[in-house]
Amino acid sequence: MNEEPTVYEVMAATVSHELRDFERWFLGLATGEETILLLSHVPLVGMALAQHTHAPNSVMSVAGWGLNPVLNEMPTLESEIPTTTIHWRCEAHITMSAPFHPFATKRGDVDVGFASAAHVDKYGNCNTVCIGDYHRPKIRLIGPVNQPLHFSCFGREIIIMPHEKRNFVDRVDFISGVGYLDGPEARARLGFLGSGPVMILTNKAVFDFDPKTKLARLKSLHPGVSLEDTRGNTGYVHNFMPKKVAITPQPTPEELRIIREVIDPRGVLLPR
Amino acid sequence: MVQLKEKLCSLAEAAKLIKNGSRIAFGGFTIHNHPMAFIYELIRQGVKDLTIVGFTNGNEVDILVGAGCVKRIETCYVGLEKFGVAPNFRRAVEKGEIEVVEYSEDLAIERFQCSARGDPFIPSRILFGSDIPKYNRDIKEGVSPLDGGKYHAIPPADPEWVIVHTPMGDRYGNALYFPNMQLPMNWDLVMTRTTNNVIVTVEQIIDRERVLRLSHLNMIPRFRNVAIVEAPYGAHPSSYLQLYNFDAEHLTMYARLARDPAEFKKYLDKYVYGVKSHLDYLKLIGVENLMKIRHVGGGL
Repeated sequence: MNEEPTVYEVMAATVSHELRDFERWFLGLATGEETILLLSHVPLVGMALAQHTHAPNSVMSVAGWGLNPVLNEMPTLESEIPTTTIHWRCEAHITMSAPFHPFATKRGDVDVGFASAAHVDKYGNCNTVCIGDYHRPKIRLIGPVNQPLHFSCFGREIIIMPHEKRNFVDRVDFISGVGYLDGPEARARLGFLGSGPVMILTNKAVFDFDPKTKLARLKSLHPGVSLEDTRGNTGYVHNFMPKKVAITPQPTPEELRIIREVIDPRGVLLPR
Repeated sequence: MVQLKEKLCSLAEAAKLIKNGSRIAFGGFTIHNHPMAFIYELIRQGVKDLTIVGFTNGNEVDILVGAGCVKRIETCYVGLEKFGVAPNFRRAVEKGEIEVVEYSEDLAIERFQCSARGDPFIPSRILFGSDIPKYNRDIKEGVSPLDGGKYHAIPPADPEWVIVHTPMGDRYGNALYFPNMQLPMNWDLVMTRTTNNVIVTVEQIIDRERVLRLSHLNMIPRFRNVAIVEAPYGAHPSSYLQLYNFDAEHLTMYARLARDPAEFKKYLDKYVYGVKSHLDYLKLIGVENLMKIRHVGGGL
């Protein structure tokens, strides 16, 4: 495998490295073509990569319809529930059981979920509702969707964002997904089951959250991305720069082979 | 001989049941399984001031908002999935023309289960810290009489009217689904248990004799419904899972035209006001397009 990994493959490998064996993962719906690539296809490949490497006993739920789909047979996931999904091989189809999803989400069954947003703030709070004043918003967005559940009950949340300056704000205008709210004590005060967001994954970089302050900080740059470019495209006003910035680990040749030959042989999930 | 009450009627007759200001829920999920033929007829009849109670809404809500039929929406999502944001919804909220009452997705769905059970509210602990209870004044904070813990009381959905689309039914109101029901069908069924005012549109009316032989598929027995309407391709341009996919070309066009009020008015003039009947609508869409999206037996 001589070719360099694409940014989407780097992102998928980053997702995979965050996931552990015997976990339960939950993927919901996405809106718009770009978000579908980042929030549906990247985590799908990342979860499958983990299952093919270090996490064979994990379970992924593709929200509307199934557990552990066989990805190399899937067409693109252009809708959460395409009409032909019932024909896609997977370990369990959520058909008659939809009101009784196999995951008891509010009892803490889900270990990792995925979210995106128009804005994410320094404490990892997400906004999918509106920009500007709530009653006369400058921009109305899709609505809270399932973010309150993800961010309160899921063990860890991976936030995936297109890396644009305006997406990183000091304080979101509407909190639909509660990150660390206003500081390190907030989640315990709110009584949440889950431990909150663990990373903000973008097409340029990875952010994590300082264990002491719970403020977002730059953790690593994807291969070939400059620090200046990333800094200039990050709207945060707090100091998000660490003493030393790492390079996001590239997928190994074996991981790249699995992505390209086993998981996505037709290249329908990740453009390359 | 004693006669069963016939509930089969026309789209126009069924839509007349919905008065201005009704509280109404439509089946379906994002761009799937919506009773679009019924919704087009509601728009033609000029119904006003609807309160839509729903979850994970899509093109069915967007077109009603764009046609000026909606006053208030209680939901967790209005969007067109792959086709992006819901342009009419977005514009109307930004202009302050409609009221949105925010719920999270799980709670928006559970509100229907709450209604079906006849319960007064759902106790929830997932909204703390979010801005949903700050702006949704229907949600009240309370203390559990059992353990003294804080929770939010989430009100039931309690729609006055529920409209769903199913594959088949008989003239007396029985409505059947294929086996292997997927998520939208299951939640549609929950909806039909939340009111006595259920209207079903179906792809095809079948004989009572066949219903008796397919009784294991009769998920909405006739006593639940007040009216049943035949509307082939009645979910177009949404999909009807198992029967046809969404019409991607049409929804792409919709999403583009809906961004501009003048263009959207032309869309409505052509596809809603400009057709006299659902059959005329199907003629306008064209046999070739309908053939392209069909996927009969998709759930078998």
